[in-house]
Amino acid sequence: MSQQVNPFIQADGTKPSCMQMLQIILDEQASADQKEYFKFHMAKCLPCFKSYNIDATIKELLKSKCCAGEAPHDLIEVIKQKINQQLSL
Amino acid sequence: MEDTQRISYTEKEKNEVFTNEFLPLIHSMYNFGYRLTLDRDDAKDLVQDTYMKAYRFIESFQTGTNAKAWLFRILKNSFINDYRKKSKEPSKVDYQEVETYYNSEDVDRQITPDLRVESLKDMMGDEISNALNSLEVDFRTVIILCDLEGFKYEEMAKILDIPIGTVRSRLHRARQLLKEKLSVYAKQMGYNN
Ligand SMILES: [Zn+2]
Repeated sequence: MSQQVNPFIQADGTKPSCMQMLQIILDEQASADQKEYFKFHMAKCLPCFKSYNIDATIKELLKSKCCAGEAPHDLIEVIKQKINQQLSL
Repeated sequence: MEDTQRISYTEKEKNEVFTNEFLPLIHSMYNFGYRLTLDRDDAKDLVQDTYMKAYRFIESFQTGTNAKAWLFRILKNSFINDYRKKSKEPSKVDYQEVETYYNSEDVDRQITPDLRVESLKDMMGDEISNALNSLEVDFRTVIILCDLEGFKYEEMAKILDIPIGTVRSRLHRARQLLKEKLSVYAKQMGYNN
């Protein structure tokens, strides 16, 4: 793939900084081209490489540890009952 | 809710949308409610309340649009209007500070020195959850929406009623704060660089 074109460059010609590219990647708002470009960029930019690894690990941890689990079993039933009550009023 | 076109649904269609599109999202909704209130009973009330409102205003939901974003927005508004008012936690986000922080462009300086992948991998307990919960609610919210629920900037902007630029800078600051918290835990675990 061509490394000449930086897919992070905005329509007005602004070239984003490392930090801005990193955030687009982390926030999962990057296009396939941007992801590809960043992979090559990281290989030659140590700060991006280090920062990305820490941030991506945190993201993984969040995903695996910060779900409150299933909603209480009766919650759906309670909601349905309340709506039926309202309808019959 | 107020800026969308109203659709008339029959009673049967109403129930179909509610059952097929809204109710399957109950677990995400409950997690969002829990992460906002940090209390399981409050989360239950908040979710119940949200679904009641969703049913009442179902005409302003357009089928085929993002039900999850629509429900999350109602939940977040209920939290601010009904719950947060009662609680003692005021909004403390300093937006001036957020903007300045975001404009400093050196990635190298953004790295929290004593936070390393190895120490993070050892955090098998509640460290990450506690760190997230300790963030001020506005910062906590963007992390939940982005990292746990995978919303796009535009969707987050709609859910939170803030510009996309603010979503971005708030997320950036939230990630920094989270790292600072985690580095404190890493030190306590004996990782000194
Ligand atoms: Zn870089």
